[in-house]
Amino acid sequence: MFPSPPSRGYSRGFVLIALIAAASTLAVVLWRVPPREGMEFWVFARQYYAAYKGEVAEWNRERPGQAVDMQLLQFTALERRLLSALRSGTPVADVLEVERMVVGETFAGPLEDVGFVDLTDRLAAGGWLERFNPPSFSPWTTRGRIFGIPHDVHPVLLAYRADLVEAAGIDVSKIETWADFVREMAPLMAARGPDGRPLRYLLNYWSTNADQTEILLLQAGGGFFDGQGRPALATAVNARVLAQLTAWVVGPGRIAVDAKEMTAAGNRLRHDGAVVCMLMSDWLTGVWRLDLPGLAGKMKLMPIPAWERGGRRTSVSGGTALMIPKSARDVDATFDFALNLYTSPEVCDSFFRDTGTIPPFRELWARPVFDEPNPYFSGQPIGRLFIAQAPAVPLRSSSPYTVAARRTYGTALQRLVDWAESTGNYELPVLEAKGHALLEAAQADLERLVQRNVFLREEAPKS
Amino acid sequence: MQNREFEQFARVLIYLLLVVVAVFLLLPFAWMVTAAFKSNEDIFSSLLLPPGAGFLGVAWERLTLHNFDRLFAEEGIARAMLNSTFYASVTAIGATTCSAMGGYALAKFSFRGRRLLTVLVLGAVLVPGPLLLAPGYQLLHQLGLLNTYAGLILPSLAPAFGVFLFRQAMLNSVPDEIIEAARIDGAGELRIFFSVVLPVVRPMLGAFLLISFLGAWNNFVGPQIVLQDPALYPLSSALAGLRGTNFQEWGMIMAGTMVSVAPVMGLFLLLQREFIQGLTSEVSRGAKP
Repeated sequence: MFPSPPSRGYSRGFVLIALIAAASTLAVVLWRVPPREGMEFWVFARQYYAAYKGEVAEWNRERPGQAVDMQLLQFTALERRLLSALRSGTPVADVLEVERMVVGETFAGPLEDVGFVDLTDRLAAGGWLERFNPPSFSPWTTRGRIFGIPHDVHPVLLAYRADLVEAAGIDVSKIETWADFVREMAPLMAARGPDGRPLRYLLNYWSTNADQTEILLLQAGGGFFDGQGRPALATAVNARVLAQLTAWVVGPGRIAVDAKEMTAAGNRLRHDGAVVCMLMSDWLTGVWRLDLPGLAGKMKLMPIPAWERGGRRTSVSGGTALMIPKSARDVDATFDFALNLYTSPEVCDSFFRDTGTIPPFRELWARPVFDEPNPYFSGQPIGRLFIAQAPAVPLRSSSPYTVAARRTYGTALQRLVDWAESTGNYELPVLEAKGHALLEAAQADLERLVQRNVFLREEAPKS
Repeated sequence: MQNREFEQFARVLIYLLLVVVAVFLLLPFAWMVTAAFKSNEDIFSSLLLPPGAGFLGVAWERLTLHNFDRLFAEEGIARAMLNSTFYASVTAIGATTCSAMGGYALAKFSFRGRRLLTVLVLGAVLVPGPLLLAPGYQLLHQLGLLNTYAGLILPSLAPAFGVFLFRQAMLNSVPDEIIEAARIDGAGELRIFFSVVLPVVRPMLGAFLLISFLGAWNNFVGPQIVLQDPALYPLSSALAGLRGTNFQEWGMIMAGTMVSVAPVMGLFLLLQREFIQGLTSEVSRGAKP
């Protein structure tokens, strides 16, 4: 006989979980996952996935031998898998959508080692370079070669609370520049709360918001790199923008408030009318319709005020492109698929209705969907308004150091804000001089970082 | 008398304080539950339930099951639930059994290199998990186990922490005499392990099982790295996929979170006594020198 142990048998939990394991194993065996077939196509945005479903099904019906298996991946998962695939040869899709802030990293090495298929000659041969909005290729171009087919243009307009602006008797047609904007809209900031602060601010902007800062910088003709991809932070335009943005967030000339997009707190400020105007890219119109239904019929769009008379009235924000990794099984088929998807009138219409995004394929700009009045924006044909600005969107760099440059410029801006607050200097010429000095230091930092990349250092003079 | 009154007053004060803390702790949970039943328009317009003219001043008619409906009909969350259940339960059973076997071997068998092996296991406990992600991924890639259930389960089968925990439990709880008595009675090693040793460490078994189950259920990083096919995703990864890039469907995300939290919460409530007993038994018994 065995000696009696202190307690007999297994615990209730052990038995229960063992039973669950047995049952779930049986279920997994019986409910088989069908094997995936066809060219893998990764997307990261749920709305894109939904918009493409019909077109992908149609493609698969027409070309069963080149069927596409579309998969929706979480944004970060796609980014990580893409980067590890390009660096260590792990599995990756045959074609995938890549976001603008991710693509720079894939261009860090020598041109011949970029992990994507160079599409320049194919696009040129088919006349696609002219048929797509030319500036929209810039984020996917490195050292003169194009590696992506742009999905969007993402022009930016200024959205404003039409109910408040019109009630105040303000005529927005008088606004051409930012100076006009501040002057004409000033009455809206007259009302003060019990603490003496304005009840409304003219602009949704804050110095810590890198996206908005970049939008305004690009609109002004500034940027982080020159035409050869070299750091170009310490320029007169960049310093001027730095000074103006500082004056908008601190001091007696403050007109801005921090109502961050896609946050509950920011939505509340927008809803309550604490902010009158916002920078609005086409894709953001779709977000607002869903996030802020209470503002339907109260909003309108207008071109962004220029930095000087006759200047650019738009900017650009975000972006996605279809890119084909070199490991793709059938590059010709994936290229055909990509063009078919991005030039499809059906995808274009449904995508615009769902998200407000206009396509870069110019032949689609004549579609009637863009003339439809939009009830959310007080009946304005918002598609037509964005398309009118699309050819003027600024060029953007695809440098691997874009993220670092944005951060560096943002740090300089924050330092200038702190300096202005601590010294009480809010005059634009003074801020501009100080800003230029800060940008020179920032440029030196960025140059040091870029110089570590021997591949780009060697190739820079060639391009 | 005065002392008793003071004690009662102090107790009331403590309970009041605990209630306040509990309310703070439960508020996010209440927000999650109510948000799961709200439409996207109502998510930020009211903290919990949408105000209206209904019973208790709530607009009950605006609550909806639409989020759950979409979750199961459009997002295929049922498959993710099955995957989570399979992955967590098989990992928990496997990890508990393997850890107990490893711990038993280190505690009760004499063999060359035992001390070194014990030190190695203890050393492995100190290695942070994220450090193993890259080499683990490469190994799974070389073994052809990426995008498979095995790729997810195999690396979790013998956690160093579990082996060391069971080693200590065996040292403290399993007398050598009962093992020797079983051997004299003719029992084989497997029989001794399953029929004599495991029942002795039953409380630890239950506690470790639940810890492993919860760990596997909540594992987010592992599936994100190993699995590529959304049909194999467990709930943790499937829920992350519900997050949009520009626009969040909060109602559906909260409904998914509820679906993800409910089974493990039920399991924990069912087994909490066993779990706590397992965690405290070794403490009350005291460690052997």
